[in-house]
Amino acid sequence: MSTAPPPALEFNHVTKTYPGQPQAALQDLTLRIPRGSRTGIIGRSGAGKSTLVRLISGLETPDAGHLQVHGQPLTPATLKQLQARTGLVFQHFNLLAQRSVLHNVTLPLELRGTPKALRERRARELLQLVGLEALADRYPAQLSGGQKQRVGIARALVTDPDLLLADEATSALDPETSAGLLTLLTELQRERDLTLILVTHQLEVIRAATTHVAVLDQGKLVEAGETASVLRQPQSAVTRALLDAHRPEHPLLAGETLHHLTLPDLGAATLDRLAQQRARIVRAEAHALGVDVWLTAPDHVPAAELGGTGLGGTGLGGIETPRLIPEVSA
Amino acid sequence: MTWDVLWPLLWQATLETLWMVLPSALIAQILGTALGAVLTLTRPGGLRPQAVVYRGLDAVVNVGRSLPFIILLVLLIPLTRLITGTSIGSTAATVPLTMAAIPFVARLVDGALRDVPGGVVEAARAMGASTAQTVFKVLLPEARPALVHGFTVMLVSLIGYSAMAGAIGGGGLGDVAIRYGYQRFETGVMIATVLALLVLVQAVQWLGDRIATHTDHR
Repeated sequence: MSTAPPPALEFNHVTKTYPGQPQAALQDLTLRIPRGSRTGIIGRSGAGKSTLVRLISGLETPDAGHLQVHGQPLTPATLKQLQARTGLVFQHFNLLAQRSVLHNVTLPLELRGTPKALRERRARELLQLVGLEALADRYPAQLSGGQKQRVGIARALVTDPDLLLADEATSALDPETSAGLLTLLTELQRERDLTLILVTHQLEVIRAATTHVAVLDQGKLVEAGETASVLRQPQSAVTRALLDAHRPEHPLLAGETLHHLTLPDLGAATLDRLAQQRARIVRAEAHALGVDVWLTAPDHVPAAELGGTGLGGTGLGGIETPRLIPEVSA
Repeated sequence: MTWDVLWPLLWQATLETLWMVLPSALIAQILGTALGAVLTLTRPGGLRPQAVVYRGLDAVVNVGRSLPFIILLVLLIPLTRLITGTSIGSTAATVPLTMAAIPFVARLVDGALRDVPGGVVEAARAMGASTAQTVFKVLLPEARPALVHGFTVMLVSLIGYSAMAGAIGGGGLGDVAIRYGYQRFETGVMIATVLALLVLVQAVQWLGDRIATHTDHR
């Protein structure tokens, strides 16, 4: 007679409301995350994703309901021990600027009182695992975004956790770097028998790297299940909306401009970078579909700057969507 | 006054100034850092919010910062006597100098610690860092360049204050400027003293900037 191992993470009717907020950030959430799964948690801004992460990492406590990690209730008494079994990867890396790469990775062990020689040996092993052993003595400011996130992953794994929680870990990175990191996370999850939780607003992340998915909307769970079946047969309107927003074939084949990709209000430099990034994505997607695409930029950009990898600049008032002229190749 | 008289006079006064300023600066940096860290931790939204403690300390720091140094110098005479046994001379001057610098440092440290990105602090907390560990392993080291810069600013201010302490018997460069330059109308001594102060301030600022830049890895 054997009992099944407890889920890696279990939310039982968890509700959390922040003081002064009319609506609950999470409302009566019941969710089981299977051990050894790669579970994606997806939702728009305000869906409750951040609250979920803060609850799991012990930065907030639920108002009602309870939370179990590896079958143990998360209470002040078990918090330290359970925190030690959870590795966290952040959207903005959250590396310490005044510490070298090596000493960023040793920090979790240092906080736990691991002897210096041992923690540095462990950190070097982890840096090797993420392919950054040569950069151990650099500082975060000297690294690219993708490299910083690799340091973040090494830091999260240095305590040998069972659960790796990645909060929008690839959202601040360009598509190529994101894809590389998702591959790395997937490999690490398999090799080290981790439970990986990927919190994201990007459907690509769910598609590329997860076995299971939970869809949140306005603090409530709207759908959960195996990724393949949820994507094939979405049961809720929210999931369908997420899927529709990420079907690049449609506008490309229909010759529409990508109006639905509205961008947040950012600085002009960021917008320009985003425009270029988006042009790259559109090209990649068009290539995958076997469609030829011309990207035309706003009038003030010299024709010579079009084509290649660089798409011209944007007006200061906001982004001008690259217009797509599809031409299905024979 | 000839150079062979002026030099030893200026040298002696410079040493007195340093003797007043350096120990005061060191003690004030330690106590002010502690006070600044408590302000950061106890403020609303801090790691250990304590509204009463925060408001009390905040008010004390504001009062300390707003008292003119010359007034503080006089007000603290009993305390100075208690600690150093006298209220006259360079050693005695370290007491009011330290007391004047503590709230100054506390403000600078509080600001420097609050400038450490919140995400970094949350990351440390999620890794299980205690409050003390967050302060000593994350907040203070991450704020190091700002702390070095603040120490430099404080040192320069103290050199200025020490000239005032000189005026009431504290010795140092300010004392020379008053006694020779002002009271005996020896303009040459006055200028030499001012130059000495200028060199001292420049040297401190230059060194502080060098250290701050050198230790900043951002």
